[in-house]
Amino acid sequence: MNRFKKYLALTRAGIIECINYRMSLAVMVFGNLLYLTLIYFVWKAIFASSGSDVVNGMTFESTMIYLVLATALFNFMEMYIVWEMGRDIQSGKIALNLIRPMEYRNYLFWSVSGSFVVNFVFTFIPTFIIVLLVTKGTIGLGINLVYFMIAVILAVVINYEIDFIVGTICLYTESIWGINIMKQAVVTLLSGATIPLAFFPDKLRTVIDYLPFRAIYDTPLTLLLSDGTDQKMILSKLLISLGWAVLMSVISRLFWKVSIKQVTVNGG
Amino acid sequence: MEKMIELKNITKEFKVLNRREGLKGSFQDLFSRDYKIIRAVDDISLSVGQGEIVGFLGPNGAGKSTTIKMMTGVLEPTSGELMVNGRIPYKNRTANSQEIGVVFGQRSQLWWALPLIESFKLLKDIYQIPQKDYDDMMELYGGLVNFEEILHKPVRQMSLGQRTLSDILAAFLHNPKVVFLDEPTIGLDVAMKSKIRELILELNKQKNTTVILTTHDMGDVDALCERIVIIDKGKMLYDNDIRHLRQFFGSYRTLKIRPNEDMDVVEEHLEKELARMDVRISHDEEWISILINEEQIKVLNVLKKVQEKHEIRDMQLEEISTEDVIKKIYREGV
Amino acid sequence: MDVKKRGIAFYFKIYFKIITQDIKSRMSYRADFVISTLGMIATNIVGFAAFWLMFSKFPNINGWGYYEMLFLYGFSLISITPTQCLLDNNWNLRRYVFDGDFVKYCFRPINLFFYYESEVFDIKGLGQLAFGIGTICYSWHHLAIPVTFMAIVKLVVFLSTASLFMMAMQNAAAATCFWIENSFYILDLSLKLKDYAKYPVTIYNTVFRFLFTFLLPVAFIAYYPSLVILRPDEVPILSWLSPVIGVLFFYLSYKMWMRGASRYDGSGS
Repeated sequence: MNRFKKYLALTRAGIIECINYRMSLAVMVFGNLLYLTLIYFVWKAIFASSGSDVVNGMTFESTMIYLVLATALFNFMEMYIVWEMGRDIQSGKIALNLIRPMEYRNYLFWSVSGSFVVNFVFTFIPTFIIVLLVTKGTIGLGINLVYFMIAVILAVVINYEIDFIVGTICLYTESIWGINIMKQAVVTLLSGATIPLAFFPDKLRTVIDYLPFRAIYDTPLTLLLSDGTDQKMILSKLLISLGWAVLMSVISRLFWKVSIKQVTVNGG
Repeated sequence: MEKMIELKNITKEFKVLNRREGLKGSFQDLFSRDYKIIRAVDDISLSVGQGEIVGFLGPNGAGKSTTIKMMTGVLEPTSGELMVNGRIPYKNRTANSQEIGVVFGQRSQLWWALPLIESFKLLKDIYQIPQKDYDDMMELYGGLVNFEEILHKPVRQMSLGQRTLSDILAAFLHNPKVVFLDEPTIGLDVAMKSKIRELILELNKQKNTTVILTTHDMGDVDALCERIVIIDKGKMLYDNDIRHLRQFFGSYRTLKIRPNEDMDVVEEHLEKELARMDVRISHDEEWISILINEEQIKVLNVLKKVQEKHEIRDMQLEEISTEDVIKKIYREGV
Repeated sequence: MDVKKRGIAFYFKIYFKIITQDIKSRMSYRADFVISTLGMIATNIVGFAAFWLMFSKFPNINGWGYYEMLFLYGFSLISITPTQCLLDNNWNLRRYVFDGDFVKYCFRPINLFFYYESEVFDIKGLGQLAFGIGTICYSWHHLAIPVTFMAIVKLVVFLSTASLFMMAMQNAAAATCFWIENSFYILDLSLKLKDYAKYPVTIYNTVFRFLFTFLLPVAFIAYYPSLVILRPDEVPILSWLSPVIGVLFFYLSYKMWMRGASRYDGSGS
């Protein structure tokens, strides 16, 4: 319990730090809305030009709900962990963090958790309420919210572990920028953050089914938009997410352990 | 002597946010904010002639850096008149820069990835230094420091001392009329400190450059300055030559020793044994400190006396700290 | 010392010297260069994949066909290049100001904006340029636009115009850090908005069309300038005026940057 308190203190400090920057918070809220409006217009034009109401089983409305919420999720999950780690490593601050009475991976996670909370409250919730009001009744407000929250928490973990694995690569190379944009490009596309996975060709979708990325945006949103009756589907999706979360943390833990040992041996 | 710098009743105020505490306080700050005015520099007047070295002495946050930033033109004073080399610095920042050199403590102004010589060449172009002047300067530098060691090294690979040295050389390169050094020796070891002090002194002598430096190290002032200005909490406490200051509170040094025996016992003994000498003794967990006025008694004599009776495991000699000087001025006036 | 007036030739000379030195020293970090280039290529490939995915389901957007949209895309890639290569140090501005390190740029007898930005020349941006040129050539070919001397001149002029707008947006976004603590989101937003520059501005309603034309000039990064080449029969007056507006926007953003720098109080130390 005491241990957990330590972590929550980091979360709290993170929240305070985020809301201390008043203007930056306002920009975040406003920018999020502006960005969502852009997405709305683009896809409205796309559907209007297609001539049919349903494309690959998705209507304009469901596409919008999906994309708007995916963007809101994306905004709140983008934590710039790779940058953070890269900078720590390059400046040598990593050594300080290694001797902390807390594992680096935990320390980093709980330090950014404060901004998770702030971003969730200030971008995701307002967006969700707007979508709820605009689409009147398309999204159920029942047990699906619980499934959604579980899936989001797993998504946060998976996303963090991916970032941590990529960040560990910075121990080997100075090229933080290159590694980071490569990761961003791949994750953004394959997780369905910008284009719904439904629009992907079948072959690519089969491949994506075997990758962890869809658990980040696709799974939580599918669960949110479901009515909560298809227990089997829900359970299997949650289990898959859980499996990925466990697997990814094991991999990232091992990778970090091996890498840090190697670096300390080489004195890099 | 030609006047180089004139400050008349200079004051600088900053508006800072009064933050509330805790999570709840932060939420309150989100909607209503409370600012307060802090006076970082308070009514300072001073004039510096060409070729002088003036040391600004004071603890951290006293307003030394703010004063330097005003003199270099980065900051505009809230009120008062300020002239450097016949110009108002913040109004002619670019023109002013041509004739001043600045070193800001640990913030290197050199190109991080480039070897020093390439940085120098770029500066030569930026300041439009004539080839001959540049060559002369390089020759002078070659005689003053171990040039080969750093000239072809990228700044990012240098030690802090080498970097500071390089920054000082770069600041003098275009033969400016005034050079501002903000905490030039901060974080350096004793050998490097004295190397840097020698360099500054020599450049000042050779080029008749006015040097303004801030420090919280009495040693810097002792080694470099004829004249010192003491600033505390934005106010000027003292502006006179160093001899006057020395006369005023003597030349105090603190001898610190770590005995083999129990501290309390040794201190008690020393109080008796050194009773005839004019010293003050105190101790903390690690050291016994003996404050010595060197005009009345030599440190070595004290040490000899101590050694007669006690075994010393370790010892240190410290200059009187800036804080002590300021405390003394507050208590006793100048 | 006898100081000559520092004119445009002086600045070009200095810039050239600084970047040759910078590139030389960067070349010693080969791995970084290779990985960054790979990252750049990956990002662009993903961008094209997304573009292709959209168009495999939707044949046109608001009356704009595949190759026309591809042209807009290529146009936006090229117009981002100068921002990326020349003004990359804007990304660090926030941190320098926050830590108080910005003060170290304030003591040179040359233009502050120039001196600050000259510190970083991002050679990776050139990879994007190659992608952009390739895309424009490819779509140009498929659109069967006649290749005349005038067409090339127009292309160059309007590409430069478009890049002025991009630079202006990024400058202004970066400069906000002189007023606002932690202005990262603003810079990030300006980068995200750029992704939407490749859509025709006609898809928005009046309010947003106005917003993206005159306040956040996203529409000028690809749409208005490229109309001159793509739809020569229906070029709106705004397209012809865009070079002038571009210069104006850039000038304003530069002024804003310099103003911000002059109120920088050097705190953080």
